[in-house]
Amino acid sequence: MEKQWTYNQRILCIGLFGGLFWSIVGYFLYLLHFTKVGPGIALMPWALPEWKNTYIGHLIGILVIGIISIGIAFLYRLLLQKWESIWIAGAFGLLLWVMVFYVLHPVFPGLETVAEMNKKTLTTTLCLFIVYGVFIGYSISYEFNEMQQNDA
Amino acid sequence: MIRRKKWKFKNVSVDKQEDEEGKTKISKHLEINTERLKNRLGIGKSFDVGVREMRILDRDIQIYFVNGLCDMEYIIELLQELLDLDREDNEKEEDTTSVKEAIENHLVHLQVEYKDTLEDCIAEMLAGLIFIVVDGEEQALVVDVRNYPGRTPEEPDNEKVVRGARDGYTENIVQNTALTRRRIRDERLRNEMMRVGERSKTDICISYIDGVADPNMVDIVRKELEAIDLDGLPMADKVVEEYLLKQGLNPFPLVRYTERPDVAAIHLFEGHLIITVDASPSVIITPTTLFHHVQHAEEYRQAPLVGTFLRWTRFFGIFVALFILPLWLLVTLEPGLLPEQLQYIGPNKDSNVSEFFQIISAEIGIEMMRMAAIHTPTPLATALGLVAALLIGQIAIDVGLFTAEVILYVAVAAMGIFATPSYEFGVAIKLARLFLLVAVVSFGSVGFVIASALLFLILVHVRALNKPYLWPFLPFDGQALWQIFVRTSVPSQRYRPRIVNPQDPVKQSTE
Repeated sequence: MEKQWTYNQRILCIGLFGGLFWSIVGYFLYLLHFTKVGPGIALMPWALPEWKNTYIGHLIGILVIGIISIGIAFLYRLLLQKWESIWIAGAFGLLLWVMVFYVLHPVFPGLETVAEMNKKTLTTTLCLFIVYGVFIGYSISYEFNEMQQNDA
Repeated sequence: MIRRKKWKFKNVSVDKQEDEEGKTKISKHLEINTERLKNRLGIGKSFDVGVREMRILDRDIQIYFVNGLCDMEYIIELLQELLDLDREDNEKEEDTTSVKEAIENHLVHLQVEYKDTLEDCIAEMLAGLIFIVVDGEEQALVVDVRNYPGRTPEEPDNEKVVRGARDGYTENIVQNTALTRRRIRDERLRNEMMRVGERSKTDICISYIDGVADPNMVDIVRKELEAIDLDGLPMADKVVEEYLLKQGLNPFPLVRYTERPDVAAIHLFEGHLIITVDASPSVIITPTTLFHHVQHAEEYRQAPLVGTFLRWTRFFGIFVALFILPLWLLVTLEPGLLPEQLQYIGPNKDSNVSEFFQIISAEIGIEMMRMAAIHTPTPLATALGLVAALLIGQIAIDVGLFTAEVILYVAVAAMGIFATPSYEFGVAIKLARLFLLVAVVSFGSVGFVIASALLFLILVHVRALNKPYLWPFLPFDGQALWQIFVRTSVPSQRYRPRIVNPQDPVKQSTE
């Protein structure tokens, strides 16, 4: 705790923490059978040995999501940082969900299509993505506004 | 409406000497003042307002006071001095130029002021000061001889610590600001006093450290307080809170109350504002976030590691209080949710009453027991405990109304509530839990997920004095969250929390 962080450092931290935290929450929800999709989904596109389907796969998946989230955070910074609203941030999360489950669907072998999913998995993943979007988006736009105020 | 106008009109015609602000000036003729004051204060009708008439230096003077709010011994001393003045004067045979000044010079007290209008005098007198009207003078002398009935500082009942200061705020606002001042001898500590309430004239004090607290925030709070227009504030700080923050239907507390001067002082140093209301021992800390409600002074009285352990235990308790009952209800309704290792959870035998109603009635039972415990005098408390614990708990299981597991989880959840440092927050958690329970019993696991997400989003949306409620978790601030997650050592806390927008962000620790 030597120095106050810069804006970019904060965004990096928001992305990393957001990814780790919400994928851990997702893992618990997976363990409690709320959803059939665990954080291990992040490893699906790669051909990996058998451990990718065990808890090791999920733990590494959590790490991978954390790292991917850094990129997502910077994406949000580029596109939407000006608007401090939890609705826009939530919509961003929704968009991510659509990306993962519709657009990028062919990348994940073995993932059920949205039509095949049961109601439980559907609502849980939706809620998780919205909350995740709010976390990243709202944090970044709040930081941005704080920075603007301090400069002014 | 018509009557009111008439009354106003009548009033104006009687008081010819009103100035622009509608205040009555003190007349040079003592009889006029006497008559007005007698009418306005009801002297002779209400027993606690009194007047003492004397003749000093060949002038009539009157001393007005309220019984019970002044230190009588002190007044007697003042009278003694005035009488001595009279005697000295007779011996010297000198012509005293100004009686008013002579009297003022003999009022042996620090706080003596001049007032021009009757309204000011009356306001001061009803606060426990005395005022002296002298014949032929247009100003009255106000002397502060207040001595309120009240208790001495004691340890607050609901914020006890094992180690640390045992003093707590009392009902006396002057004593309270003094307790804070004793911990902050900074010349920049500001205690701004104002009077609110048309009839009660309650004193409210905004405290902040100049140069640390956000001046905009101080302005906002000051304006909001000045805008309060009502008869009185017998419920003191709570009324102020409701005027300051528009709570709506949100059950979560938007300000933190404390009765501990050390807690108040820490928050002042961090750049928060403290609002003290007369006649209430709890002061308001603002702005606050959710995480202010889950910390306790105790944690800072132990080693950082121990403090962290205490804090995590408390977090766990709060988490359990919120989620354990809805989750348990969910797995009894949908046993498929449990992972294999946890299959033993859930009731083994069917009971006559559905689990949801068991939980709800147990919850209401606990709530009733809590209320009963507050209202029961101590000698009867043992009997109450016996009834509550033995009869209700055990027999209800034996009869088959309750399953043992319900009692266990309800009790655990109740313990979690009691472990919450802020009572207001505990009650809010209870309501949130009820919301989750209803969602679970109505819509199962889907309901649980959506209700939890909704609850979270509502909390994100809440802003107390325009500060996000879930900060530093959301909007995320890693450094600040770390200090909440772990009780860090005091030397390492170099920065004041950014949420209060401190003017001087750095605390005075070495680099």
